[in-house]
Amino acid sequence: MDYSSEVEQRFLSPCRAGGFEKDTPGIVSGEAADRTLNVWIRFQVQVLDGAIRTARFSVYGCPYTVAAADWAAEWLEGRPSTALEELGMLRRYKKLGVPVEKLGKLLLIEDAAAACWRELDNLKRQKRS
Amino acid sequence: MIKKEIYLDYAATTPVDPAVIAVMTECLGSDGDSANPSSSHSPGRRAKARVEVARSQIAKRVGVPSDTIWFTSGATESDNMALIGAMRANEYRGRHLITSVLEHKAILDTAHALEKEGVEVTYVNHDTDGIVDPDQIAEAIRDDTVLVSIMHVNNETGVLQDIAAIGQRCHERGVLFHVDAAQSTGKVALKFEDWPVDLVSLTAHKTYGPMGIGAIYISEGVSLDPMIYGGEQEGGFRPGTLATHQIAGFGKAFELADPGSDGPLLAACRDRLWAGLNTIEGVSLNGHPAQRSPHVLNVTFPGVEGASLQLALANVAISAGSACNSDIPDPSHVLRGMGLSDVLAESTLRFSVGRFTTDAEIDYVVGRIQDEVPRLRALANGAPAWTAS
Repeated sequence: MDYSSEVEQRFLSPCRAGGFEKDTPGIVSGEAADRTLNVWIRFQVQVLDGAIRTARFSVYGCPYTVAAADWAAEWLEGRPSTALEELGMLRRYKKLGVPVEKLGKLLLIEDAAAACWRELDNLKRQKRS
Repeated sequence: MIKKEIYLDYAATTPVDPAVIAVMTECLGSDGDSANPSSSHSPGRRAKARVEVARSQIAKRVGVPSDTIWFTSGATESDNMALIGAMRANEYRGRHLITSVLEHKAILDTAHALEKEGVEVTYVNHDTDGIVDPDQIAEAIRDDTVLVSIMHVNNETGVLQDIAAIGQRCHERGVLFHVDAAQSTGKVALKFEDWPVDLVSLTAHKTYGPMGIGAIYISEGVSLDPMIYGGEQEGGFRPGTLATHQIAGFGKAFELADPGSDGPLLAACRDRLWAGLNTIEGVSLNGHPAQRSPHVLNVTFPGVEGASLQLALANVAISAGSACNSDIPDPSHVLRGMGLSDVLAESTLRFSVGRFTTDAEIDYVVGRIQDEVPRLRALANGAPAWTAS
């Protein structure tokens, strides 16, 4: 398999892989998995004052999935929390050098980010009530 | 000193031995034995002599008379010729073929093609070590069975089948027996005259010879229909101008391929590799632990996706499944057939060592994998249990 230099670099050195220390404030997390695609992904993001300060991920999957998750975590950082719903991986797969047959795996990254958004939304509702 | 790239994919193909290159070069160029070996002039006769020397080198290596070896383009063609040629030539005896689910695609796809022609095919199973039970073959044989085809060394796991026992069951019932021995030469001893076999497929490029040349052993008295037509070369079984340089290289490669000297060295390399990999938590060896070729090691790394481990070891040439299938995203049919889940099959790598593998290379690869497997498992920290089962 020929990987783009961006995929290789992000796979070999995924800067945002990992999680947060216990009791870190403002953490929400979301997961997505598809056994048939052989992918599991979990995002954890720290949201403070409506903005994503830090994003971390754990992933089981192919190099494209690891690289795309790293890219997504980087993209999320510094953006408003609504970005969790706006990853738009399908618009970016070419830039990442991901072949079209791997798009299903990238959609799981969107799903995991969207799961973070839902948890954040739930937390807001609980606070309001 | 470790080379920039380490090659541990000898089961896919081997580098051509320098002594083979020298012989091939002698058959190229205007000063070489480059004439058409079918020509009756002096240069043609010299080329023909090269072909016959090679034929005898190959025959000697596998322990048969020279006139039972016929050149083809490789083991895939030989497999096709054996199955299609034998089924068509022996139609009067029946239209039933037996093979196993673990065979190479060259056999399975040919069997599927024959099914479309009306041939009935029985695919026998095997145990979880990848061994085909000879008695199961015997049970599958029917009155209309023409041919049984079973590979000698499995290309993905290195598991060795009991060819003598399977062949005996076939011959007791008057059934032809074909063996794909593409992976065997130079690793395990072959003496077809001692084996109850009728047809055997061979190739050069897995034994330090060139790609694009192979052979089929056809036992005396066995009828095959040709697959192609157009001349009298190779007794009309396989017409077409003979590729002298490739055939000469093939012969030299088989002359050098001595399992008595290479086999123990390969086994030592393979065992050194396994001893190192077996220190990693959770790894498992696929295939029978003893009944296997010395050059292949098939290992599952639970919790690590195979393509990721391959890229993490980018300077090490290894295979996820067989090389023939490595561009295909589906998990290996061989590993699935041996009972591995799709996830574990995709967490599996095939390592194959060869004549030029060094201990330093093995130690380097072991060290890299000992680093990369924990890194990739840490990346998947918290993943559900199915990712490792």
